[in-house]
Amino acid sequence: MSESVTERLSPKRSRLDPEFAPPFPEAALPILRDPQVRKNVAHATDVIQAKRGKLVIEKTDWRQLREAASAIRSHALENLGAYLEEFELRCTAAGGIVHWASDAGEARQIILELLRQENASSVIKIKTMTSAEIQLNSHLQAAGVEVFETDLAEIILQLGDEEPSHIVVPALHMNRSQVREIFSRRMGLEGLSDDPEALTAAARNYLRDKFLKIPTAIGGANFLIAESGSVVVVESEGNGRMCLTVPRTLITLAGIEKVLPRFRDLEVMLQVLARSATGERMNPYTSMWTGIKPDDGPQHFHVVLLDNGRSSILARKTERQTLKCIRCAACMNTCPVYRQTGGHAYGSVYPGPIGAILTPQLERMKHAQSLPFASSLCGACYEVCPVKINIPEVLIELRAQVVDGERHNLKRLLDPIYLGMKVASFVFQKAWRFRMAQLLGRKALRFFTRRDGWIHSLPSLGAKWTQTRDLRGFPDQTFRGWWAAERGSRNGRV
Amino acid sequence: MVGSDQHRRDVLSRIRSATHGCTQELSQINSAYDALPRAYFRQSHLSNEMLCERMLERLREYDAKVVECAPTELPAAIAGQLLVSGKRTFVAPPGVPLEWMGSEFTWKVDNQLTTEEIEQADGALTGAFCGIADSGTIVLHHSETEGRRLISLLPDWHFCVLYASQLVEMLPEYFGRCNVPPGLATFISGPSATADIEMTRIKGVHGPRFLVVVLVRDV
Repeated sequence: MSESVTERLSPKRSRLDPEFAPPFPEAALPILRDPQVRKNVAHATDVIQAKRGKLVIEKTDWRQLREAASAIRSHALENLGAYLEEFELRCTAAGGIVHWASDAGEARQIILELLRQENASSVIKIKTMTSAEIQLNSHLQAAGVEVFETDLAEIILQLGDEEPSHIVVPALHMNRSQVREIFSRRMGLEGLSDDPEALTAAARNYLRDKFLKIPTAIGGANFLIAESGSVVVVESEGNGRMCLTVPRTLITLAGIEKVLPRFRDLEVMLQVLARSATGERMNPYTSMWTGIKPDDGPQHFHVVLLDNGRSSILARKTERQTLKCIRCAACMNTCPVYRQTGGHAYGSVYPGPIGAILTPQLERMKHAQSLPFASSLCGACYEVCPVKINIPEVLIELRAQVVDGERHNLKRLLDPIYLGMKVASFVFQKAWRFRMAQLLGRKALRFFTRRDGWIHSLPSLGAKWTQTRDLRGFPDQTFRGWWAAERGSRNGRV
Repeated sequence: MVGSDQHRRDVLSRIRSATHGCTQELSQINSAYDALPRAYFRQSHLSNEMLCERMLERLREYDAKVVECAPTELPAAIAGQLLVSGKRTFVAPPGVPLEWMGSEFTWKVDNQLTTEEIEQADGALTGAFCGIADSGTIVLHHSETEGRRLISLLPDWHFCVLYASQLVEMLPEYFGRCNVPPGLATFISGPSATADIEMTRIKGVHGPRFLVVVLVRDV
């Protein structure tokens, strides 16, 4: 790599960088105290859920579609190497150029180098979570490339210096008046109304000449088709079609897991994706293209295939299913935890249940270790997943890994949970120890039990419980004690 | 070329070792693929009359405008819709039949029109490859009658001629009609839309804001 493409400024760090984000319970607190965000999130997730529910009931072969979608994704992953090579072969034959990147840094280097070859000082972008994963925008800007997001939600976030909180509707935590404020400030539109129609029109005007003038676009892929070397992008607004059609050069950044064996597999995927993602029978626009077509669309086309931890997920039996994900976000819309906290608490561009399993794995279990615990394990996510990812199963597996990892950490000796478990283990080993503990507990807690029979507040560690809920005071007598007194027992010990 | 073969080898070798035990011969992969469960519906039992009704209903739900006509009435039906739009200048792909292009309008036939020329037109008139009634979807393969992708994208109005014989009920039937995968395909389900602000559906963001479908009853 030449020196000239190295970044001139240090890129702005994302607040959703798992390496630096605070643990989930800490990050969730301020959001739980923000009624506006909670209202916005609840409204958006309710609307999508209700629409999805209706369409799933209407689709009488939903179960069979899910079964097929799951099987196709599993099969593609089991044979990922062969299918990726097939994709590369076909895409190259059609005039595309395929690049491979082991991690985020390599992918950014490849993209920067391509932009340098194009002499590109600005790019237009289709919404792609994969680019957020590698924090592409801040690195491009640090290298002097101006980035224009074109998806409405992404424009809101970019102009408002906000972070995405959902993978399909990234600005769902914001309401119309917040959007109005950002647009009128950043686009210089005084007197802009907060009517979504007016806001959408403002975005259209803001972008129209950028689509026509900026000759380089960066986008993602919903699917890569091995059989034909084609790429598929699913969208609503037409900003995707603009970026895929008008510019001279197109760079597609795609995770290696996005591949489908054959064109025909779309007959399943497109049926489950839109219904799960936005509660529509079909999203307004789906585009598929294959390499380069003379006179139609970009004449330079690059695909950057990104590993960034995916191959290590692939290697693990239980966790491999994480990669089946088609990013519909149905799991977050239904998740009782996400619905309260919204996306930012997850400290990752991938929030919700899928983020809780994907993020720590992409971080190779070095960061985001609180996320596998950010779940009630209720299983709602598994129930709605169109590709049948058993998220609770993976969550439990990852929890075990986190706990195992801490087993050899000296700091555990300061961890109240660890110490509590040690004490509990000691106490439960002998019946007399248990009875003694009960006796002591009854005596000690009596000091804190009010007249109504409830404990309303406890000191120190106990406060963690009583801050949010009351605790029933211990009864004067254990059940065993009562039994012995009531019935007596000559030979059975109590 | 950017990137090196080393990157490619690294990624592929990690994938191979991760899927060790399931990496098979091509023939084995193919037979595993053929054995995948596909118990979902793949064949419609609806009459063409019902397909047309379903398609019209779905398109109207998307706020698309739809009119029906007999094959002989097609030129008049197209002209009628162009007239109602109140627009004058239209783009058409080179394969569109001359009789579709009423002489009372200004036509730009796409023999290498520039992006600006297409952008400045009020509307575009194209054919289609297939219509999927279940979701009200029109599929373009961008042939000579369907035009380059720019044509059905930049102008604010998209007039699309769809024949009843091109209708299928469900998505898998469309795939059944493709003998080989098309190089280009665009699936259009209503005019462009967004629900990014408070989940309020707003029609017309960057794609055409108005979609007009002329359904020709040729069955």
